[in-house]
Parts: sequence; structure tokens; C-alpha cells
Amino acid sequence: MAEFIWKIGGEAGMGIMASGLTMCKAFTRGGLSAVGYPEYPSLVRGGENTFQIRAGAEEIHAPLKKNHLVVCLNKPTADFHKDQIYENGAIIYDSSATKIDPGEFGADKTLLDVPLLKLATDNGGDVIMRNTVALGASIALMGYDISLLEHVLTETFAKKGQQVVDENVKIARAGYDYVAHNCKSQSESFKFKIKKKSDSKKMVITGNEAIALGAAAGGLKILSAYPMTPSSSIMHYLAQKELDFDVLIKQTEDEIAAVQYAVGANYAGVRAATATSGGGFSLMAETLGLSALSETPVTIFLAQRPGPSTCLPTWTEQADLKFALNASQGEFLRVILAPGDMHECFQCAAKALNLADKYQLPAILLSDKYLSETFFSCDKFEMGKVKIERGKMLTGNLKPLPPNARYKRYLITKDGISPRPIPGVAGGEHVAGSYEHFENGYSAETFSVRAAMVDKRMRKLTSILKEDFEMPKFYGPEDAELTLMCWGSHKGIALEAAKILSSEGIKANVLHFIFLFPLDAKNLKKLFRKLNRTVMVENNRTAQFAGILKEYVGFKPDFKLLKYDGRQFFPEEIASEVKRLKDKGWKGKKEIHVIDDLSYDYLQAGKVER
Amino acid sequence: MMMSSVLELTTKEKPQWCPGCGNFGLHMALKNALSELGIPREKTVLVSGVGCSGKASHYINTYGFESLHGRSVTVASGVKLANHELTVIAEGGDGDGYGIGSAHFLHSFRRNIDMTYIVHDNSIYGLTTGQASPTSQKGMKTKSTPHGNLEMAFNPLAVAIAAGGTFVARAFAGDMAHMKEIFKQALQHKGFALVDVLQPCVTFNKLNTFAWWQQRVYKLESAGHDPKNKAAAMEKAFEEMSSGYAKIPTGIFYKEERPTYVEEAPQLASGPLIGHAVKSAEIEKAFEEFM
Repeated sequence: MAEFIWKIGGEAGMGIMASGLTMCKAFTRGGLSAVGYPEYPSLVRGGENTFQIRAGAEEIHAPLKKNHLVVCLNKPTADFHKDQIYENGAIIYDSSATKIDPGEFGADKTLLDVPLLKLATDNGGDVIMRNTVALGASIALMGYDISLLEHVLTETFAKKGQQVVDENVKIARAGYDYVAHNCKSQSESFKFKIKKKSDSKKMVITGNEAIALGAAAGGLKILSAYPMTPSSSIMHYLAQKELDFDVLIKQTEDEIAAVQYAVGANYAGVRAATATSGGGFSLMAETLGLSALSETPVTIFLAQRPGPSTCLPTWTEQADLKFALNASQGEFLRVILAPGDMHECFQCAAKALNLADKYQLPAILLSDKYLSETFFSCDKFEMGKVKIERGKMLTGNLKPLPPNARYKRYLITKDGISPRPIPGVAGGEHVAGSYEHFENGYSAETFSVRAAMVDKRMRKLTSILKEDFEMPKFYGPEDAELTLMCWGSHKGIALEAAKILSSEGIKANVLHFIFLFPLDAKNLKKLFRKLNRTVMVENNRTAQFAGILKEYVGFKPDFKLLKYDGRQFFPEEIASEVKRLKDKGWKGKKEIHVIDDLSYDYLQAGKVER
Repeated sequence: MMMSSVLELTTKEKPQWCPGCGNFGLHMALKNALSELGIPREKTVLVSGVGCSGKASHYINTYGFESLHGRSVTVASGVKLANHELTVIAEGGDGDGYGIGSAHFLHSFRRNIDMTYIVHDNSIYGLTTGQASPTSQKGMKTKSTPHGNLEMAFNPLAVAIAAGGTFVARAFAGDMAHMKEIFKQALQHKGFALVDVLQPCVTFNKLNTFAWWQQRVYKLESAGHDPKNKAAAMEKAFEEMSSGYAKIPTGIFYKEERPTYVEEAPQLASGPLIGHAVKSAEIEKAFEEFM
């Protein structure tokens, strides 16, 4: 069998995330591709946490909805997943802790009652180590190589000493042996198996970690931020690495200060960024305009979650695109990038820093909870591909200015970009600021100057399109009858949907956008003319990117597939909607809202247990 | 690198302040302080907020950044962390620093980033034509409080001391020589230095005039105040109110030596961040940790 989908669920505090990551690494150590997808409500204890891993011999781009094996550490996990297990799938549970009525599951299912708690404590472990027993038991059932799990455990606990390593390995082994010896017939009749492919090693990394690494590789020296899910792990990772990477992490009193510190540092010539989510970004809006008017670079890593207001803090949505595009008063240019996989997260973080510097404006990197916190296996990042471009920043002393004169920081230029001396440069003394200004920075309430400055700043758009804009990329057959259009996080999901469609006889390809703004209307129009049938897939209610394409490029997709219930699309949902459209002879509704009723159960879980 | 004269520190931009505004004296004192301390222009960054005080960065010929209303300290902090060899000055008004920017004001003291923060405190919103400010006295009639201000005045000095301020001072814009000396000490202080400058708004504050201040201010150093004594400093910070505005102390209320943020951040020990290279080898090594 080419792939296996494993899931573990329990209360927050049961160590679901840690054991999920361990299992994920055990798969990738066997040369498999894997996606580790965590879900959790917004609370620290209780509620329902899950971690799903889809691993396979071929490249895996996104999680699927259903599972082959679910480890239930509590009753709600069993309840929620009854309908999310493939035919002939299995669950592992411990009847001493979780009361399950086997009748609730179909007769096709394998129910493995493993004494997880007892095996953990009998082997010298703590209650929490029932996870590790479950990992061993799972590996036995799926026929995978237990030594790979042992390697991961050995490396994970190496720092804590040999005794801890031995204890963990012993406990994992106990779970494995129990299933191998006591559940032989069930194991044999369970037909889903997964085998090691090779010894090659891959990284297992989240979008936020990839962004953090890309930023550091791109010369980030200050990250000033205020905690907000799902952006916080950018700060967490860089803080943990602050001494190795020589990056200063400044947690500020609020998001206003966070983005302000970054603007100040960039003004002084040091690459600085902030990371936040929608609520924090709202507070940063005014400073976004300050960056634009003072032409001071600033980079913002914006990890979206559902809105408005506090809304669903630990779930996902792509609904801040238009906000990112329009936040702050007045009209000004900004760059918006939305990477779709780990390599793109890494490269785009560095690229955002370059674009902010080069064009002296705000650059926003848009991710979301799904991309930011899901673990993906991938090859090592390529440092060599990262180029640092500081644009017209001046660091060497200039010829002295005439007495009492100031440097023309806002010199009107053809490309709209003016040379930018940084403090410390003699002869570059100038005032930058939030008021409209003359070339030398002095306040200007002269209409012609105002108009000239607006035009100067807007001219950067042409420069960006000429030098840095990236066209969306095609994936899949050129002669597809259907193109799934998407942006940012939904790349992998669309790729998987296209795969399902092609296996069912519908030739589909994917057109994925990273560079969301500004847009090269001329070349995009040309490209769009070549498209056959188009379906725009967006994780929001109002098809925001479709709206932007309509406004700036004059393009309208044939169909819009929208989901806004707090979760990202699952590939199966896209495939089944597309099939339905085809069955209706492409004459169905133009805008389809996909609501995954299962998510409501999850969302309620947190509420009920609170 | 050379020291700059007061004349060199002046720009050609015509000040937009009202004739008789306390800002003129304040800026003359600041330019004198910078000049006497021999701080080079190109190594100085003056960050201002928005309000009448916001124009500060336009009129002094150093590097200047006019930030948003309430946000001079924040941009200035970013500048200092990026290049701590620069002399960094933040300026703002009482509305700017004690109102809209009060969160930053509060946290700057415990953070203790080495810079000087000058607050043009005229107890009124001037640029927006005369509304009550955080330091407007209770009962004061303004455009927004025509029947009298219902709120008691904010006490910036007491708050600064309580919040962990390492240099808390007050100057009077009517005494340039004294003000200059306080600025010099603030600029030389290692840590976050607050100078609250009492100044009249000749156009919109008819209560706190030059004459009004003149009759009430006195110098702490003449009264034998020990700025190392925190309890005494706190008492002095409340004197203005406890005396019913009869006695208003100026000078250095409190001063202590405490390691600054820059001194304690390990990343900054090898010199300003501005000169630091990308740690490519370390980053590549980190890739392995994800395997």
C-alpha cells in the first residue's frame, strides 16, 4: 500500500502534539513523505486535541479527511472519528480508561483494546507515556519498522540521558510487543500496511519554522512581536535560536510597539520584522501607512485565523487578504506574498525582506493556521538560493551637505525609489516621517508636491512588476479540462484534489499564486486566456482573491469553491464538488459553499468540556 | 565625526510654533546640550511623535524621524536596538506620551533602553486646538471640557519612578540654563531618561502660563534633594498635587544605575546589530535538527 493515515486524539495536556511529531519523524526516517496535521481548541487543558499523519511513498501534499487507524486516548476521540475511519480501518484504545461500545463502529473495523496505561506504568513510565505505548502498538498494527521509532525516541531524549532514552524505547517496545503477541489475528486481518521506503532523511517542519529560518537566512536581525496564535511559533522558534542565529527577539507591550520597533530598526538599517495574526495586524494598520509614507521598509509575517474579532483562535481561514491589501488610511503600495509549501515559506520570508528593503515599503507574508502549524516533510532548504538585496540603502559617508541643509531623502526618481542613507552616514542627515513632504523631508502642503510624491511612490509598482513579480505556477497536465486556481496555503490541497480527480478520469491542473500583490495584469490576462474551465478555491466566504483578480486583471473564474467553517479544504471536498459540477454538465451554481459538518463537532468539543 | 555647533544643528525649515511657545527655548537648550557634549549630528537620531512637539525632528539638523501620534519612543527603541552607538532622543507631547502612547511610556522604564525621552508637557492638546490632556488639572476648562475637566491629572514622574525609571527629571521651559543642564545629564545617563518639560501653550492654555509656572517652580538641588533616595523622589513627585499646585519641583527627582537592555542583550555584546553578518552556517546546521 502506498500510504497510511494515522491519527491520535485526546485531551489537551495528554501530549498529543509531541507524540504526533515523534510518529511523523518515524515515518520520514523510513524515506516516506508525510504531513502531520494538528487540531486543537483554544485552551490549554481539556478539549479535544488531535494529530493526524498522512505518510506515503509518493509525495504527500496535504492531509485527507479519513484515517486508517485512530488512537483514541479519550472517549470524544472515538465519538468524533466514528465516521472518519476508512472501511476496514482500526482504532486503538485502552478499555481501562476509555469506555467504547464496539457496536458503535461498523463490523468491518478492527478495535484493538491495548492496556496503554498499564503497559506504561508496568514498564516504569508515567501515565502520560501511554502515548508512547500507543505509538509502538500502532507501528505493530501497520507493519512498520519499530527501529525507526526507536531511533527518533533515542535522538529526542538523548539530552535527558541514557536512562530516559531507555525508558522510552522500552515503553514503545512494550506497545509493539503487546500487539505483535496478543493481537496476532487482528493484526493479520488488518489489511492496511505501510513499509519503509529508504534510509533517506527529510526535514519535518511547520510553515512558521520555515518562515523563521527563511527570515534568519535573509538577514533578519530583529523580530519584535506580541504573542498571537497562530503566528507565535515564529517568535518561539527564533527566540530559542536567538543566540545561534544572532537575532534579537523583542516581545513588546502590544502589536503597535512590535511593528513600530521594526520600523525604527529598519530606518536605522537593520532588517527587522514582526509576526502577528489578524487582531494584532489591526493594531499595526496605522504604522503600515507610516512605513509607506516615510518609505521605511518593514516586513510583517501575517498568519491568518478566522475573524472578525477574536473568533476562532486556533483554526484557519484565508480571509485577511483584502485587509492586508487595504489596511491603513490613504492609498499606498504594499507587497503581499503567500507561500504554499515549506520551501516557498523559506524563500518568501527572505524575499519579503528584500522587497521591503528594495522598494522601501511594507511587505506582508501571508500564511494561515493551516500552513503555519502543520508539519510537512521536505528536503533541506537551499541557503544558496537566498540572496540579500538591500536596494538603494546607503551606508558609506556622503559629501557634506551645505550648512543647515538636509539630505534629499525623497528625491524624485524615475523608478520611484530614492537613495536611503541610514543614521551614522555623514552627509545623509535627513528627516523621514509621517507627513507629506518635499524631497528633503520638510513638511509640504504644496499641492503639486503632494501629487508628485504620490506618483513617485506609486511608480514603484512598475519597478516591482518589471523586476520582482512572479507569475503564478502551473502544476499538472497542460491540456487539462479544468484548472483549480488557488493561493498561499491551499497549493498542496489543490494538488491532492487534482490527483484524486485525475484518478477518477477528470484531467485537472493547478494554478497557484504566491505573488498576490501587485499583479501584472498584462501578462496575467495573456495567461488566463489560455485556460480552459476554472475553479477558484478559497478558504473564505467572499472569494477575496477572485475579487482582486476581477478588479486588477478583469478576470472571472467560472466557478468559486469557498469554505469558511474554520478549517481548510480537504482535497476530497474539492474533488467531490468538481465531480458534481461535471456531472451537471458544468451548469451548476457558480459559487459553491463547502461546509464540513464534522468541524462543528470539534469546535463544540472545547466548549462542552470547558 | 565632529562636534556640531548650535548653528549647525539648526535646519532651514521655518518653525510652525506660535510666537512665545515654550518649544523654542526647549530646542535651544537641547541644541546647546548636544553641542556642548560634542555629540556628532550624523550619530544622533531624534524621533518625534505628532503634535506641536512632533515638529522637533524637522528643526534640529540630525537624523530625524517623525513617527505617529504617541509613537516616538517605539520607533526610537527600534533605532537604538539596531545601532546602539547612536545617540537616540525621543520627543513628544503630554497627549502623545501620557495619553495615546501611555502603554509604551510605562514599559520603557522597565525595559531601560538607553535613550532620552523629552516630553513637552503643556497640559493641553495644542495642535488640535485646545482639548484637555492627561496632565490638565481637574476642573480645567478646555474645548472638550467646557464645564471643567472631571479627571485628575496624570502624574508622569510618580508613574515613571514606580515603573522602574532610572532617570526621572523635570525641567521648566522658562529656565533654559537649568533645562540644558538636565538635558545634558539625561543624554549622558546610561538607560532610559525621562525629562518632563513644563511649558506653557501660549495660545490654548490660559491657566498654566509662564507667569503661573514661574511663581511655583523651584529647583530640587537647591532644596537638598538626594536623587538616589527613591522614597524622597516619590514624595517630591507628589508635591505638586499635595501642595495644591503651590510648589512645583524641577530638577532630577530620581536617578539610579541599572544595566540597560542593550548591555544585557547577549546579541549586542559584540557591537551594534547593524554590522552583524548572517549566521549562515548556524542556520544550515539548524536544518539538521528538523530531521
